[in-house]
Amino acid sequence: MTVVLVLEGVVIAVLGLLVFGLLRSHAEILKRLHELGAGLHGSPAPAAQLPVDGPRPGRDFQVMPQMPSPPDREGFGGSADLAGIDAGGHETLTVRVTGVEHDTIVAFLSSGCLTCQKFWDAFRKPRKLGLPAGTRLVVVTKGPDAESPSAVAELAPPGVPTVMSSEAFIDYDIPGSPYFVQVHGPTGRVKGEGTGPDWDQVSSLLSQASGDAALVSSLAGSQVAKPGADADRESRIDRELFDAGVNPGDTSLYTVDGAGDGPDVEAGGSGPGPDHDHADPSP
Amino acid sequence: MKLQAHGIETDLPAGWEGRIALRTPPGAGARTSGEADPGPLGTAGEVPNPVVHLANFALPEQRGDFGSGAVDLMTEENVLVVLFEYGPESVGKALFKRTGIPTRLTPAMFSASALQRTLPGQAGCQVFFTVENRAFCCYTVLGRQSAANRVLPQANATLAATRISPR
Repeated sequence: MTVVLVLEGVVIAVLGLLVFGLLRSHAEILKRLHELGAGLHGSPAPAAQLPVDGPRPGRDFQVMPQMPSPPDREGFGGSADLAGIDAGGHETLTVRVTGVEHDTIVAFLSSGCLTCQKFWDAFRKPRKLGLPAGTRLVVVTKGPDAESPSAVAELAPPGVPTVMSSEAFIDYDIPGSPYFVQVHGPTGRVKGEGTGPDWDQVSSLLSQASGDAALVSSLAGSQVAKPGADADRESRIDRELFDAGVNPGDTSLYTVDGAGDGPDVEAGGSGPGPDHDHADPSP
Repeated sequence: MKLQAHGIETDLPAGWEGRIALRTPPGAGARTSGEADPGPLGTAGEVPNPVVHLANFALPEQRGDFGSGAVDLMTEENVLVVLFEYGPESVGKALFKRTGIPTRLTPAMFSASALQRTLPGQAGCQVFFTVENRAFCCYTVLGRQSAANRVLPQANATLAATRISPR
């Protein structure tokens, strides 16, 4: 009898230690989640916040000499059709970039910058550029107010449209030369933009941007549907919550033990249970 | 999108682009080896006049006055409009007695025999006219004659949006 009691005591002690360890581990996880901004209440700890404006050239990183710093904005800039005069000033021209079937790579160059010279030279042999099929290359320099038409005419590659237009630099929010923007023709959306020391790097950059966009499209088209049982369960829970007067965004969905007061929980769906963001009941 | 030069102004519809060039007399501004195309070359002693190219496709850099170089790239839905100005000596001639820019081109006006350079399936049309004491030829090429009903409204709209002022 004594032996049984001793064994039972030992087992209880071991289990107690185990439970204590688990609770401590759980508390540590919750603390870490809170520090990362995924806590249940309140705002994330300031130390864990990411910089809102992202890294800035010159402050957080350096660009190569002779290269323009990236524009101080998030995302890509806008696109616009091009209008100006040709190299040499013989023609007034417009080049359609948006609402057309083909994509356009707009190369913003200058007659004076050293890095641009490599691009002027490369564009003299357009077949060696390896442009994607159906992509048009257009060179843009600033207008005669800032560039010499004769100097641009000496550099302009034959067979490649060259537009002198200061307005285009503004429309595309160009930080300097050389700079490249790839525009999707049918939508006018900017697919990629950036700069580099030579065409190989720029070409690689633009292909990467296009490839990423293509990947996103292909993934969107191949999303795996939820299993039927999961979808049914989710619908049933949504329906029951709605019948009980709990609408999407209701604070009770985000409250634990009666505490908490706002729908600021982003980590609520991270567990294995069903997501409680129920569907809009309107038809 | 507006295009304006040498007293000619047009408002291009979506998908259209254009060029207004001045023919360069030979010898005027001789080209250096690396210089880009100086534009259409005229004849010695000629007074340079503007040439307008309007198209619903991407215009190539090397083009003749009447669209050679561009017509080779045309597909079925493409149309090219050329406004070629003649010198003041042509004003008042019988050929240019029509007044105003033609804005009602019809499929019946097009023929393969009107092309400067015959290409399979293509058709052209020439209309000579005078505006503001300036004599012009409107030369229009269809990428495919059978598509005339579809593309001519675009060409007519573009011509209707074109204004020519006195020199």
